[in-house]
Amino acid sequence: MERNLNLFFCLLFSILYAFTAHSQASKVEVTTNSLGHFELQKNGVPYYIKGAGAKDHFGLLVKSGANSIRIWSTNNKSLLDSAYHHGLTVTLGLHVRPERSGMDYNNEYAVKGQIEYLKNEVLKYKDHPALLVWGIGNEVDLKYSNFKVWETIEIIAKFIKEVDSNHPTMTVIAGVDPSKAFYIKKYCPSIDILGLNVYGSIENAGLNLRKFNWNKPYIVSEWGVNGPFEARTTSWKAKIEPPNGIKADQRLRRYQELIEKDKEFCLGSYCFLWGQKQESTATWHGMFLSNGLPTEAVDVMHFCWKGEWPNSRAPSIRNIILENIGWRKDHIIAPSSQATLKIELLKYNNKKIIVEYVLYPEAFSNKIGGDIQKSPEPIKFEIVNQSDNELTFITPKEKGAYRLFAYVKNEKGQSSVANIPFLVE
Amino acid sequence: MKLKTQIFVVILIFLNLSCGYMQEVNVYESSKSISAYDKFPYKTLFKDSQENGLWGVKSNSCKEVFFENSNSYIGNDHLHIKWNASKCNYTAVGLKWADYKVKDLKPIIESTAIELHVRIDSGELSNIPMFFVLLDYGGNQCRANINYLDLEGGKIDSDWRRIRIPLQAFNYKKRNVNMSKIKELRLEFQRMGDLHIDNIIIVPHKHNYQKSRETFTKVFNTHPIQIGVGKEYWWGINKKYSSCLQFGSYFENESVVVDLDESKEMQWNTFGFSPYQWMHVDITSIYTSSAIMFKVKSEKIPALQLNLFSYKGKKRRLQKILNETHFIERENGLYEAYLPLKSLEGHKEFRWDSFKEIRFKILESSKCEIGDFQLIEFRGNPKKPTQWKGI
Repeated sequence: MERNLNLFFCLLFSILYAFTAHSQASKVEVTTNSLGHFELQKNGVPYYIKGAGAKDHFGLLVKSGANSIRIWSTNNKSLLDSAYHHGLTVTLGLHVRPERSGMDYNNEYAVKGQIEYLKNEVLKYKDHPALLVWGIGNEVDLKYSNFKVWETIEIIAKFIKEVDSNHPTMTVIAGVDPSKAFYIKKYCPSIDILGLNVYGSIENAGLNLRKFNWNKPYIVSEWGVNGPFEARTTSWKAKIEPPNGIKADQRLRRYQELIEKDKEFCLGSYCFLWGQKQESTATWHGMFLSNGLPTEAVDVMHFCWKGEWPNSRAPSIRNIILENIGWRKDHIIAPSSQATLKIELLKYNNKKIIVEYVLYPEAFSNKIGGDIQKSPEPIKFEIVNQSDNELTFITPKEKGAYRLFAYVKNEKGQSSVANIPFLVE
Repeated sequence: MKLKTQIFVVILIFLNLSCGYMQEVNVYESSKSISAYDKFPYKTLFKDSQENGLWGVKSNSCKEVFFENSNSYIGNDHLHIKWNASKCNYTAVGLKWADYKVKDLKPIIESTAIELHVRIDSGELSNIPMFFVLLDYGGNQCRANINYLDLEGGKIDSDWRRIRIPLQAFNYKKRNVNMSKIKELRLEFQRMGDLHIDNIIIVPHKHNYQKSRETFTKVFNTHPIQIGVGKEYWWGINKKYSSCLQFGSYFENESVVVDLDESKEMQWNTFGFSPYQWMHVDITSIYTSSAIMFKVKSEKIPALQLNLFSYKGKKRRLQKILNETHFIERENGLYEAYLPLKSLEGHKEFRWDSFKEIRFKILESSKCEIGDFQLIEFRGNPKKPTQWKGI
């Protein structure tokens, strides 16, 4: 009886301990190490962020070697819970409305309403065990002219310092610029970390921060391939997207040579995007396809985070050619005419690959900064002949701008994609 | 006391008491004033589907609209909307508001709000992705969203919660909406949601918030202007990483000592500064008659590229490589450089009301000191800047 009682108390204690441990917030701090380099510590242990901007596919993320996700707003608590159950930490975004969305920072009512709302969100989430860093605002500097927005950022950061001593504060800007560095230094002393969303500009981001006399650490809060806003366009203003294989090389080089190497200031990074979204095309930033299949970018991140390639790798499209003209050039074809598309690919260790071609109307959009864009619907088209790396098809009879996608996948669904815009005229 | 005296005292007391109950009455008392809110006749926008007209209530792929009888806040039924706007360009419900009669909201803008009650079936939200849109008879529309300050209890849950949208919160000035000729109110929905709505009415409301006009702009109308004052507004100079560029002291105002050897590593060759404290600098009224002037102490004219940046506009960068025609040697080894702004290619497209930065790039190995940056008056030939007698 006494033994049973002891067992019962042991069990009860274990359950209570587990519950307490699970519901405890981590103590996260920015410190400097013995070399004088900035370092993030979680519960007293150095913590280098191997992260992704992600809302799903957490299982594969962990399997690939990541330890953290970044989300942009507080509107979905289940993401934090799910991240926690997968052993991932979260950089949690507090959505500060950017001026470009119509927010007027001279309007006291709008400003105070937003601040009170976000303070409430801070109180809701500050003790969540998955929370790593607060991300106050995302790209509020993009096309802005009212620098008062930095006052809002500071009020929220200062509030966090008052109510949550466990988590550092970060604000995220769209690229580095001397005026932004000045304003954040001047107006936001309660900001601990600068978040950088850098695509093409990642090449000089670390150097530029030093030039702009930024003296706190940074996290590369979004990075990846050059964005549509940096891409070359055709004569009809369609953005030219490199094939997955080219983008994969770019990702790998940037991680190894730019992010990992800056040990003095960089606390880690979040690759963009561990998921799928429409941004000029459906495949530009997303490391997954709209049907949920992973692309070769996932393999690249596996290599970046774990130092080895996964056992099964996606095939890789290295080149796409329409009518014997490469993807970097303009392609203008007559309506209802026969045309040939070729792809060059690496199969790696895949014995069998499946190729699919899909035609879309061009999705012109003037949205910026990751604002929501609508995906076009695919168009039916006539295929004359198709092989593993070549497609002969009939162009649409309607004049206009189109984009032809080539999808290649192995038996496990690991994919690579490339597209080529063309004008029917 | 004699009886007469007693009667007199009683009458006196009676009269005194009577006077106490008498009210002062002005002969010409004005009638009680009626507020603009009281005068406004169209206070109800929605109480139930029988009394108040709506459009856009037909369900489609992006929204489902129901009029539910149970658990209404007021009236026989209430509005229940479920939406997923991701596949539609526009998802909205319109309130005909007194059968599209012209509503003059001008007299009540300052003192009223649109009030409604909302709830959700379960859970708790602090925000709903919806907008309130006012349309005038000219087709112009202005909008406002739910503000946390006017959300009862700071949340939306399964209880009916009051929301107020002050009329002043609508951006009617910016959108040029004629508030004296309002046609209807629309509820516009974004992303996804599921909301019960009832009792949309106009109510008296105090809105004690201000709108400032701060623009972070510094306007210059006269010459000369000392630019780049204050080392905190400079960048590119950080001794920890590069000693190629350092602040100097030869000139009266800020200057940079350049010691660039391109054959070595980590040679920083670019520096910049804000004309004025990283604000929008507005020199629109004087830019055509302005030149950037600075001094150089050097054994020879350095190879410099100058870039100007603006915060706004399509053309945000102007560029010029300086040559000998831009320099005058004042003393042995002391030069003055002049760059008329009109000589810059693309200057007409540049936003001179939002001038942001002046940036220098040293194009080859040099040893010199550059400083004392000014914007001076220049009325000579922009192509021959140093030949104007005025300098």
